[in-house]
Amino acid sequence: MSMVSTEHLYKAFGRFMAVRDVNFNVEKGEIVGFLGPNGAGKTTTMKMLTGYLPPTAGTASIAGHDILDEPLEARRHLGYMPENVPLYDEMRVYEYLAYRAKLKGLYGKSVRAEVGRIIDRCGLETKRKNMIRTLSKGYRQRVGLADALLGTPELLILDEPTNGLDPNQIRQIRELIRELASEHTVLLSTHILSEVEMICNKVIIIDNGEIKAADTPARLTGSLRAAGRVSVEYKGELDVVMRELGAIPSVKKIIYEGTLPGGWQRLIVRAEPGTDTRERTAAIIARLGYPLRHIYRHIPSLEDVFVEMTRHD
Amino acid sequence: MEQEETIPKTQTSEPVRRRTSWFATLRILYLRELKVYLGTPFGWVIIACAMALLGFCLQTVIQIMSKATGEGVMYYLLNNINFWFFFIFIFPLITMRSLAEEERQGTLEGLLTAPVTTTQIILGKYLAAYTFYLIIWVPLLLYPWMGQLANLYTEYRYGITASGEIPYLLADWFGPYAILSLMGAFFIAVGLLCSAMTRSQIISGILCTSFMISFYFTGRVTELWGEFPAAPVFHYISCTEQVSSFSRGLLDTRPAVLYLTLALFTLALVKRVVDYRRWTR
Ligand SMILES: Nc1ncnc2c1ncn2[C@@H]1O[C@H](COP(=O)(O)OP(=O)(O)OP(=O)(O)O)[C@@H](O)[C@H]1O
Ligand SMILES: [Mg+2]
Repeated sequence: MSMVSTEHLYKAFGRFMAVRDVNFNVEKGEIVGFLGPNGAGKTTTMKMLTGYLPPTAGTASIAGHDILDEPLEARRHLGYMPENVPLYDEMRVYEYLAYRAKLKGLYGKSVRAEVGRIIDRCGLETKRKNMIRTLSKGYRQRVGLADALLGTPELLILDEPTNGLDPNQIRQIRELIRELASEHTVLLSTHILSEVEMICNKVIIIDNGEIKAADTPARLTGSLRAAGRVSVEYKGELDVVMRELGAIPSVKKIIYEGTLPGGWQRLIVRAEPGTDTRERTAAIIARLGYPLRHIYRHIPSLEDVFVEMTRHD
Repeated sequence: MEQEETIPKTQTSEPVRRRTSWFATLRILYLRELKVYLGTPFGWVIIACAMALLGFCLQTVIQIMSKATGEGVMYYLLNNINFWFFFIFIFPLITMRSLAEEERQGTLEGLLTAPVTTTQIILGKYLAAYTFYLIIWVPLLLYPWMGQLANLYTEYRYGITASGEIPYLLADWFGPYAILSLMGAFFIAVGLLCSAMTRSQIISGILCTSFMISFYFTGRVTELWGEFPAAPVFHYISCTEQVSSFSRGLLDTRPAVLYLTLALFTLALVKRVVDYRRWTR
């Protein structure tokens, strides 16, 4: 059973379609990065999953509970940290978390135990009696995360949990999320791609309200056009090398990039994604007796994938 | 937590547990709302102002009663233009922030994504605001006792046996409190409706004030236009006339039906508004 599964989810704001035919699954135990440019529809999709915004069409289920038919049961299985972390400014941290814990169905002694555990976990010990109004952005963010964690829900939906934090705080929150992976399934949105590469084992890319890709980071980067690209610099004849390299079966195209100072020729060898032509390229140049000073196979990053998928030109 | 989750699965009485947890959640929401009223200066400022203004009314009442007699203090206190002048502003003050502020801060999102229904949220807010409204009238019960104190002081200081007394007669007190509670039940619901319609406290307050003023004057239409075929309708909804008869001890079931029905209807409307605003957002 999937932790999250959406079926043809649509959301229209007036005439504007913010989310169009979104289908994806999140399996138990996965940490999924939800990526997309500003205004792509990430927050809107998350708000629909948490039951705050009703979908215009389609539906979704959380841990097997349909968000429209069994909204309360679906919400019992998730912890949500909204974008910009709205909190009651006039409450104290402990008081707020205890209130939220009770709302989520905890009662009696378990409220104290759970809130205490979460406060320790999120590094809020020194702030437990502070008024939420007086907290810095980083601590507000932690209170929001703590709220989502209360009651150990199976699914965490975090909307830009590291938004606006300094590098140290980002690192701490990231470590926290990584630790959480053992107990929770996580769906998080972010604009920090390096973060996704570090902690996520699945990536969903959305653009203009449509899902563009959903796969593991490795497979996404591997399937990219830039994946099999090898750049070469050698000194020697151009035509003969181009002809010889063109004969390698996996090579699709060879681009001459110019002659560098000292007579070094620079070539880009574009091959099928997932193939490595370095060895054969080097062998050919060596057989011709030309000096070779640089050979490099491009490893595409998630950023390349992101740009490729969401480029509008 | 563990128990909550596991016990019902082995028991057969599933619906019973749901009911109790429904009210438990309502209670949590209600207590937090009440804490916002009583745990912040906001609520106490309202209570203090209401007390001061009531004291001002009482002063006028004493003037009146020194000439006219025949009715109890409560009658003169409530059938007094001073009283109405501030009474209609109590409701926007109590309710203007409840849902509007929640939406402005964005905390409504947190509430509605917790396992809580819209009905529970609205009832929690409504009951808390209504409780607070009732609390405003509690100090009134001290007036007879304060009257006694004043008499004692007069006797001690000037040697005159003062005879002015505010008796604790159930007849004098039950009627006014009954009509105040009934009107409050409806007007608080109206205030909540105004608060649900906007994210601005100011606009919510203005909406509610306008309603209160219109409702008050609608009840007095017959004083201007005299009796005409539709006049009974205006008498029926006239809050000044109802207060007048209730505070004389003339209890009537019609206002009770009127206000309770309107309150329920308005609350249903609040739920529609909150849901509708979510659908279109
Ligand atoms: N209440 C609303 N009314 C009208 N349009 C809206 C509303 N909320 C969002 N939108 C639009 O829907 C689109 C998707 O917005 P959304 O907030 O989901 O983007 P996002 O992917 O979360 O972007 P970001 O990375 O900036 O947070 C945007 O074009 C936005 O303008
Ligand atoms: Mg967003």
